[in-house]
This record gives sequence, C-alpha cells and structure tokens, in this order.
Amino acid sequence: MKKKVFSILIIALLLLVSCAKKDASQPSDEVRIGVAQDFDSLDPHHMTAAGTKEILFNVFEGLVKPTPEGEIVPAVASSVEKSEDGLTYTFTLRDGVRFHDGMDVSVNDVLYSFRRRMDGKDSAAKLASLSVIESIEANGNRIVIRLSRPSNEFLAAVMNVYIIPQNCTDIESYPVGTGPYMFKSRTFQHSLELVRFDEYWGKPGKTEKFVFRILESPDALVLALQSGAVDIVAHLSSDQTKQLDSDQFNILTGSMNLVQALYINNAEKPFDNVLVRKAMCHAVDRKAVIDLAFDGYGIILGTSMFPSFAKYYVDELTDYYEYNPQKAKDLLAQAGYPNGFSMTITVPSNYTPHVNAATVIAEMLREVGINASIQLVDWGTWLDQVYTKRNYQTTVTGVSSDNMTARKLLERFGTTTGNNFTNYSNKDYDRILAQALAEPDDAVQTQLYKALERNLTENAANVYIQDMADLVAVRKNVSGIVFYPLYVLDISTICREK
Amino acid sequence: MKIILRLLLTMLLVSFLTFAAFEAVSGDPVRTMLGTEATEEQAQALRSELGLDRPFIQRYFHWVSGVFTGNLGISYSYRQSVSLLLGSKALVSLALCMLSFAMIVLISIPLGLASYKYSGRILDVVRSIVNQVCMAVPPFFTGILFSWIFGIGLKLFIPGSSPGFVHLFFAALCIAIPRIAMTVRLLRSTVVSEMNKAYVRTAISRGNDRSAVLRKHVLKNSLVSVISFLGQTLAELVGATIVVEQVMGIPGLGRFLVSSILHRDYPVNQAIVLILSFWVVLSGVIADLVNSAIDPRIKLSGEGRQL
Amino acid sequence: MKKAGIIITAILFLLAIAGSIRTPYSHTAVSYDRLQGPSGSHLLGTDNFGRDILSRIMKGLGTTMTVALLTVATGALLGTLIGAVTGYYGGWVDRVLMRFNDAVTAFPTFLLALLIVSLVGPGSKYSVVIALSLVFIPGFARVMRTEYASLACRNFVISARLMGAGHLRIMFCYLLPNTMRVLLPALTIGFNNAVLAEAGLSFLGIGVSPPEASLGYMLSESQSLIVSAPWYVLSVGLTIILLVFGVGLIGEGSRADA
Repeated sequence: MKKKVFSILIIALLLLVSCAKKDASQPSDEVRIGVAQDFDSLDPHHMTAAGTKEILFNVFEGLVKPTPEGEIVPAVASSVEKSEDGLTYTFTLRDGVRFHDGMDVSVNDVLYSFRRRMDGKDSAAKLASLSVIESIEANGNRIVIRLSRPSNEFLAAVMNVYIIPQNCTDIESYPVGTGPYMFKSRTFQHSLELVRFDEYWGKPGKTEKFVFRILESPDALVLALQSGAVDIVAHLSSDQTKQLDSDQFNILTGSMNLVQALYINNAEKPFDNVLVRKAMCHAVDRKAVIDLAFDGYGIILGTSMFPSFAKYYVDELTDYYEYNPQKAKDLLAQAGYPNGFSMTITVPSNYTPHVNAATVIAEMLREVGINASIQLVDWGTWLDQVYTKRNYQTTVTGVSSDNMTARKLLERFGTTTGNNFTNYSNKDYDRILAQALAEPDDAVQTQLYKALERNLTENAANVYIQDMADLVAVRKNVSGIVFYPLYVLDISTICREK
Repeated sequence: MKIILRLLLTMLLVSFLTFAAFEAVSGDPVRTMLGTEATEEQAQALRSELGLDRPFIQRYFHWVSGVFTGNLGISYSYRQSVSLLLGSKALVSLALCMLSFAMIVLISIPLGLASYKYSGRILDVVRSIVNQVCMAVPPFFTGILFSWIFGIGLKLFIPGSSPGFVHLFFAALCIAIPRIAMTVRLLRSTVVSEMNKAYVRTAISRGNDRSAVLRKHVLKNSLVSVISFLGQTLAELVGATIVVEQVMGIPGLGRFLVSSILHRDYPVNQAIVLILSFWVVLSGVIADLVNSAIDPRIKLSGEGRQL
Repeated sequence: MKKAGIIITAILFLLAIAGSIRTPYSHTAVSYDRLQGPSGSHLLGTDNFGRDILSRIMKGLGTTMTVALLTVATGALLGTLIGAVTGYYGGWVDRVLMRFNDAVTAFPTFLLALLIVSLVGPGSKYSVVIALSLVFIPGFARVMRTEYASLACRNFVISARLMGAGHLRIMFCYLLPNTMRVLLPALTIGFNNAVLAEAGLSFLGIGVSPPEASLGYMLSESQSLIVSAPWYVLSVGLTIILLVFGVGLIGEGSRADA
C-alpha cells in the first residue's frame, strides 16, 4: 500500500515537472542563446552583473545609444545640441517613441529616469558620472541639462540612463523600456524570454523571439550547443569551441574589450619598488600566455587601453617591455632581491580565463626566481578582499569600460580614486589626470589620456597581458552577429535563415 | 510531538550555524550586489537599507521571527521574495531526489541479495570490478558522459533544454550509480557476515532451507545497518544534486544553493538550509521508524522509546 | 582478491611516493606541446597547458591519497566515538549529539568548505581535509550508532556488565571488535566518498589551487576536453578507479577474513 502511494506520488511529481516545461520544437522565428550566468535585477537602474547589462541592452534605451562603430547617436531623443561653452545640453524628445506597455514616452518619464539615477531613489543605484549635472528641466518636448563644468564624457553617461516610465510599478518583475525587444517572461536560474516590440521607433528586430538559457557549467554550454538546445553562445574559450562539431557551427572572433593584466598592489612590499614591477614585466612572455592559455587568441597589450578605442590607443607602448628573463633577474638583483621572493596571485575561481592566465604567468615568474603561488577564491571573497579592502599582493582580472570612455579605464589609477584597487600612486599621474578630467577640448584631453597610459607603462604599474578574444559559436543557419566596443549583445540583427 | 520538537531544534541549530558561517566567511553581500562600480557611500546606504549594519544576533532574531510569520525575506541579488524564487526549484529537486532514491532502493537491494546468492570465482571478480567502477565515478563526470552518449549520441534527451522526464531520469541515475554500488556492497558484506554467525549455521545444519533462512532471519538483521545507511543517503541526496544540476542544466535547489552562497545572498541560502534540515531530519526519522519496525529490539534514542 | 587489492594499492602508493620525490617532468612546467597524445616522451600525453600528464597524475595521486586518508581517518575516529556514545547510552546524550549530527548533515558542504577556506586560508589541501572530515563525521556516527544500539542489548554485553566491566571497557573492548563488519566496509566506502567529494569541491572551484594537481581537479579539468583530448580523461579517470578499486578490494578481503 505504502509503496503504491509512494510511486503514485513520484509519477505525479514527474508529470508535473515534465509537463510544466515542454520544449516546443524549434520554430524558425525563434533563436536561443546560452548564457553562462543568471541575470540579477532586471531593474535597469539597479542591475549590476555585466551579463545582465549585456542582454538588457536590447530592452532599454537612453536618450542616446551606442553604435557598433563606437559612436553615440540619438535614440529616445531625436537630436542633441551642445552649447558653445559645453555647459548646456538640449535633448529633443523623438516623436512616437513608445514604451513596451503602449504608453508614449513623455518628458516627465525622462526627468523621472534621470532623477532616479542621480539621487539613487526608489532603490536605484546612483550613477556617479551624473554628478556633473547642475540642473535638469523640461521645456516643451525638450530636456535641458546644465552642467557644473564641461565634460566630454557626459553623453556617455547619458547613454547609461535608461528611460523607464515614471509610473512603473514593480519594474523588477515587469521591466518596461523602449528598446527593440520587450520582456516576456523569466524563470529564475533557467531562462529569460524576450519578444520583438512591434511599435519600436527604429529598425525592427529581425527575429520574433529570443530565449536565453542559463547554463552555468562550461560543459553544459557546449552540450547545449551540440544538442541543438541553443544556437548561440558568446564568450567561449577555445577549448570549448574545439569540442564543437565544426560542420554545424561558425566561430566568430571579436574582442572582449577589456584589459587583462596581472594587477599589482603597488602599496604592498616588494611591489612598491618600481624595479621589481619592471622585472615582472620583463619576466612574463605575453605571447606565450596567449598561446598556452588562450590557444593564440587575444591581442597583446602594454597599458590600460585596448585597440578598439583607437582614438586613445598608443600602439608603441605594447612592446615597451620585451620578454627578457635575464634582464628581469638583473632588475631583481638591483632591487635587492637577487634570489627572488615569494608572492601570491589571488584569482576569482569562477573566471577560468583569469585562472588559466595566472597558471602560465606563475610558471614564468618562477623562471626568474619569483616563487608565485596561486590562491583561488570565490567571487564574493575576491570583491571583498581584493577589490574593496585591497588586501592582496597580485591578482589577474579584466578591467573594462562600460560607457566607451577612456576615463573609465584610466581614472581608477589616481591616488585618491575610490576604485583604485591597485593602490597605484604617482604624482605625475595625479597631476595629468586632474588636468585631463578638467580639459574641455577633446583633442587636448585625448593627448593627456595618452600621457597617462604612457605613465602607467613606464612605471610598470601592472603586468599588462592582453585584450581577450571573444569567441562566439553560432549555428550555421543563424547570422547577423555584430560586435560592439562594449560588452553588449545586439540581438536585433540576428536571424535564422529559412 | 517529539518529532516536531526535533525538527524545530535542528532547523534552529542549522539556521543559526549558517547565519554564523556567513558572518565568518569573507565577502560582503552589499559589495557583491553592487559590483565593482559602487562607492563606499552607496555601499553604506544599501547596508542600512537592508539592515546589515545591525548586530548579528539582532539580525538573526529578526530573520527567525520573520520565518515564524511565514516571511522568508527578499533575495538580495534578485530582489524578489524568497518563497517565490524557491517554490518551483524545490519541486524539481524533490522529483530528482525521489527518483534517485527510488532507483537506489529498487535496484540495490535485489542486486545486493543476488550478488550474494550467485557467487563464483569469475562472477565475483566481474562483480567487484563493475561495483568499484560504479563507485569511483563522480556524478559530475557521469553527467557529462551521459549527456554526450544518451543526449547527443542517442538523442534520448536534449542537453541544455528545459528538462523533461528522460533528462531527469539520467540526472537521477548519475546521482544514484555510486550510491547503488555502495549499498550493494554494504548489503552483501553484512549478509555474508550474518550468514557466518552461529545461529544461521545452526539453522542450516538443522536442515532449514538456505534461502528461507536468508529471507526470514538474515535479511532482517542485515537490513538494519543498510537502512541507516540509506537514511543517511537520503539525507545527503539534496546536497549531491548540486553538481549534477550544474552539469546537466537542471534548475533545482542545488544550483540555487551554490549561487546564493557565491552571491552572499543570505535570505535565499537560509531558506534552502531550512528545507535541507527538514529533509535531513525527516530521512533520519524515517530510517529509525523503519528499523524499529523491522527489529523491535532496537529501541533507538528517546524518540524510539516513546513511540 | 585481497592480494590483488594490496598489489594495486601498493603500486599506486609507490607511484605517489615517487612523485613526491621526482617526476619525469616538472608537474607545473608549461610548454608549447599542448594536448599531445601519448608518446615516447610523454607516456600519457600532455594537457591543455602542455604539461606532462603522467607527472601530474603522480603528484595528484599523492594529494588525493593524503586528502582521502586524512579525511576518512578523522571522520571515522570522531564518528565512531560519537556513534559509540550515542548508541550505547541513548537518552539525552544521544538526542543532543544526534541533533548536531543532523545539523552537520544539513549544513551545505560548499558553505562549510568556503568557511574553512576563509579561516585556514585558501589553496591549502588541509582546508579541504578539515571541511570534508566534518562532513564525514555524521555518516560514520549514524552507522556506528545503529550498530552499537543493536549490540548493546545482546546477552554478552549484559553478562559483561554483570561481571563488572566498565562502560568504556565494554564500548571499546567488547563492542568495537563486533562492529568491524560494518566499520570496515564503511571505511572503504568512506575512502571512496572522500575521493569523490574532493573531486566535487574541485569542480566547484574550491579544492586545491592550480598549478598543484589533485585527481579530482584534473578530472574536472579534463572532462571539458573529453572530445579533443580523450586520453587525458581516460588516464585520470582510470587512476581514480584503480585507486578506489584497490582500497575497496582490501576492505572486502579484510571483512571476509574477519
């Protein structure tokens, strides 16, 4: 009797589970994308995870938005005017822009969105780059913003102020934006569905529906591609792509637009000695790191800037430190460490590329007598101990710029900057940085930024490695992937050939 | 009544221990929520919003009183009510665990007895090898292997799609295989040593049928330790699903548990731990009850005596 | 059977000892010969960093054996102690200790490991050992408790009591030998589980730190290369199976003799 009840229970349960989520056979107007981590908050003013921003880029828009070429073009606004003195920006609202709930976008929605991000009210996260705003007001269908000082990065900040309806309730569960795709449903730790927004003001999306499947293990992603459960997975390792059947998939190569480096705690002994840091730069064969840990994919870097920001990129810094173990040993001896020393590289264990890079770097440092050991920590510990408390020696990570500005990459090395986790402190650097941030003229500012990059390289602030390659596996009948100089995936151009 | 008390006590103990563990583990929930861009000012503001600036004991009591009023709190990383988040996951995990446990019981007990009954030199060697191999393969590895073979090769299920029955079946099998092997071995060895005992030898020498003795006496005596082992296995099953869920892409509690720990999402983690302790106590009680039913001589602990 | 077990274990043990003294190549040295199949110069081929797999298996075997043995020893010792006391006495001692037992079982292993890591410091194999030992106590305790409880009411115990034997004496001189039929298989199963648990933790990113090697870590690394470098998975997988197999055979044999 008991047995019967038991087995009936099991069968009932299984039926429930299996019926609840039946996979429909792949309709042609649906593309499935595998992602490696779950989305966090869907509130566009609160989301933190890069993976969430990457996808919700398709749901939300600011007054302006980025193009694949790295330009900033009008979006919810139809035009932007900047005053002569650079202190006043006037945005004209575009006609006929609608929210996904069918309401027209009004200037009040824009004001609400800006105020929410400026004050951090209604549990939004405060956007520090908006602190230059002195006043913001509506004038007819125009929004006039006055700045306290000229800022070349202001439009980039505006780009990240996603416009949401002022009367929205529970945007967390039902996100409403103006983008080409709208939120349909979400199952935590399992999937997210977006569907085309037919009243979109701009070019409509090519595919009706996108399903994002969350698969946290690298193997699960490969299996899902191979089994046909998903069509696209971005940010794969070359080891992963090698498991795939090359008849079925195209592998596209873009770049991740981040600066992967062995970041050094400059305040910690013996790394406060510039000779030690230079020795480390000479000791690491960056090409070998890319060859051994990344199968040759990646662009060698020599400073905190990557080539897709062509305007700011200084190519000659790349080979400033050639690979030369003997020189490294000499420099170490000169610094007072003829027999080397011991150090630890603290790496977040969930980032395999960084762990792999650290594995090779540690071997190279060992060659010149630096006994480097690797400490794997979980992401929470890394954020706390390394990034916030700066309680570490060295770490391998990638630093990116989420608003396409050089400032985001370079400001963090100023002595007093809040997120200067490397504790880099250099008087010249601070002076030039202050100058650069206050400079209204774009050309002069660009030169100053380049000087900052040079300063970082010359003082061997960190052992710069590479801008990692972004390998994207795409099923052969799917096309339309466009790379941005930002960590976003634009799905509006993706479609399946019929 | 005793059982409810036991349940309550364990839940309180475990929830307190995990709460305390989070205090000791490095990592700041607020920082994890805000990511790399946050300023100290922002972090402070959020900390006081969430009440994380209050002392540990105060927060624990706040949480406990919340649980008693049916409020499990709001997830830090999802900003959604915890009960909403966990509902469907618990169902998936329950199905996975039950399926897996059913496999363990239904396969291992007959197999264990059969492996005792049919022995021979070559058969023993083969049995040993198969048994060992099954025991030695970690579930995450079987998960990948099965996904390649049964998923991609034989197309019995689609790895990476929303899990259906076949998918869950293979996931459950991955978890069950090493445990089946262990139970078979445990059962067999207890039967062997029981058969060597004086009373069995006497019974057989008096002309009783070997298999009747086995059925009537030996099995009963051997089952005691096997059942406590099974009880422990049942208790550990939820934890064992973690890696398999990850590898096979099944949205269950195990995956949520790991991610809540990694994100320092205390409310979610606390709720899962409550479910886990409930499960553990329940399987302990069941094992004890079954054992007392089989062999009334064993009067285990306070609970047993009262019953 | 037991002989075969001893031979297999001895060979692996010697391999691990040899590995701690000398390996054919440095187990951490990277090279451009990535993912090479087995050959004369690399008997088991190379991994994705161009490291010699044989050398890494020799090192990893040492790590895994140490972790598993220490874990089982600590877990079994404390578990037997708890199981003996609770099973023999019953009553409130039993209730209190078994509640703790339940608590430890319900406590997420992953969180426990993280906790120990932040207390002991990351990357040390001893933090893995401590975490796993704690996890293993309840299993032993529960099995031993049942065994003690069922033995405690047997006639020979009662007569021992009547002859004036102390409780401790009964527990460990009279009863302990009688529990061997359960303890020995539990030990082998425990060893097996410890190897699996170490692999599981490595899979979740909190085992030994690279470039150090453990069999579990190598297995989770190699399974991602199952298609492009099958020899890697095979050699690591077979080593794990042999290790557990050998110990299992010894355990089985000892029981048969007892």
